[in-house]
Amino acid sequence: MTELNFKRFTLNQRIQHIIFFGTFILLAYTGFPLKFPDEWWAKWMIASVGGFDNRTLIHHYSGLLMIGVSVYHVVFHLLEKPRFDVLFNLQDIKDFNQQMRYYLKLTDEHPKFGRYTWKQKFEYFGAGFGAVVMGFTGLLMWKPFEAMYYFPIGVVQIANLFHTWEAVLASLAVFIGHFYDEHFGKYPNLSWITGNISEEEMRLEHTREYEAAMKDNGDISGATETGHSNSMGLITIFSKPVFTVVFIVITIWMLWISYQVLVDAINTYVL
Amino acid sequence: MYLRAGGGRIIVLLFLAGLILTGVAVAQVNNGDVSCYHCHPKQVNEFEKSVHFNKNISCTDCHGGDIKINGTVISINVMTKDFGGSPSKLNLTTFCSKCHAQVTAKYETSIHWEKVREGRTGSASCIDCHGLHNILSSKNQDSLTHLENIPLLCANCHENQTKMQAWYYGIKTDRFDTYKKSYHYKSYLSGGNVLATCSDCHENHDTRSEDEPGSAINPANLPATCGKTGCHPGANNVYVYGGKIHEEQSVTLFFIDVKSLVTYFYIIMILFELTFTFGLIFLGITSGLDIRRKNHD
Repeated sequence: MTELNFKRFTLNQRIQHIIFFGTFILLAYTGFPLKFPDEWWAKWMIASVGGFDNRTLIHHYSGLLMIGVSVYHVVFHLLEKPRFDVLFNLQDIKDFNQQMRYYLKLTDEHPKFGRYTWKQKFEYFGAGFGAVVMGFTGLLMWKPFEAMYYFPIGVVQIANLFHTWEAVLASLAVFIGHFYDEHFGKYPNLSWITGNISEEEMRLEHTREYEAAMKDNGDISGATETGHSNSMGLITIFSKPVFTVVFIVITIWMLWISYQVLVDAINTYVL
Repeated sequence: MYLRAGGGRIIVLLFLAGLILTGVAVAQVNNGDVSCYHCHPKQVNEFEKSVHFNKNISCTDCHGGDIKINGTVISINVMTKDFGGSPSKLNLTTFCSKCHAQVTAKYETSIHWEKVREGRTGSASCIDCHGLHNILSSKNQDSLTHLENIPLLCANCHENQTKMQAWYYGIKTDRFDTYKKSYHYKSYLSGGNVLATCSDCHENHDTRSEDEPGSAINPANLPATCGKTGCHPGANNVYVYGGKIHEEQSVTLFFIDVKSLVTYFYIIMILFELTFTFGLIFLGITSGLDIRRKNHD
């Protein structure tokens, strides 16, 4: 039996993803040092991009690029052919319920996910919400005096508050949640480069979509035949530990940042 | 025999010693401060490093008195009428204005001078910012008034609660702390070119209360202050929607404080996110029921 590859991401989507995560990493790298300017790592990070003014420049223009790719994403997919299975529906609640019962060993049956799992939908709309919040507040903070033409300075300060909080939340979701779920846990998941997932992955992780595709035995237009290729070999062996270390370092860093902002906020607003 | 010969040598030695002493005396005449140095070495040393040294200014210009040559030693004649010792805070400006008339006049419009005149001697005068004998050019990195040292210079008094309480009731002592939260300070701290310190907004010499019409931080003058060349050229509307930069402005929408609302929302969101992410990772690993692993086994 030949192995089928299922098309999951088009080239357009893969390029959008690369631009989005590229600017995301640049923004986090040049943004968090500004929040904690006294820390040693912040000084090191600012120096590594060639000084404070370069940091500002990179942050501003990465932000613009991210806004650009976000707007492009929405416009393109609305014009192309909107797909409604990306929206939340009743099935997600059932799937979530089923998955929790499965984890707690109350049932033997794993939920059969469609093309998008409930968690992927959360991440997708979380990224959308984050891009909107970060984009608008970032523009306000970039041009505070132009902003003050329309709003009092308190609004600019609120933009600042939003920007920090959403940055922490988004970085937690991406650097820990998304990394673990889609890249670390499924290592090596190369669908973000090739756009394809194997038949086995399709059958296990998107069972409902797989079954629907195979039922008609003709609705697998996106699938391509391929030889069996699991030979990542040496690259996998060496990159997995590196990837693990990077993941753990970023996780610790993110937890430290979350702790700091939470303690600061609780001291200021709650206590 | 020996003594006689020795006597001759002594005469020669005395003559040489006399020559050397005369040389020293001549040198002392050239350097008018050497004699003051005998009793005030610290002050003279500091003065010799200052920007005033070798600019035709000597001790007498500030301390009064008259340079007198008394034998081989020169000193300020303390007996002349105008010897003043240390200038008092109130008449200090009369000395500085001899050369720095414009800047002194500016300073004399400031709140600092107003307080000095009211008799609050702790309020800042020329020497409190520029130093006493060791006045350096503000372009010098070591100068108290160098751009990068200004926040600490101002904080020296303005962050000090006891000083502030003693002099001027009601002034806030968290101005440096609130400045630290600003982009201006963070840029300053990280060596950015885009930075503003205290004096950029509050002015260095004519620092005035915001209530005064001529003050740089009076709401009417904020557009000019913020809109300085190289700062925020588009700042011509600050008056309309301006606010206090050192203060957290509370914004109320339908009787709710928006800042608290945003903070509470995100505290909950982040705790939720952390619990959920790590909870699912934990469940996935420990239950051994990860969908991939299970199906591979």
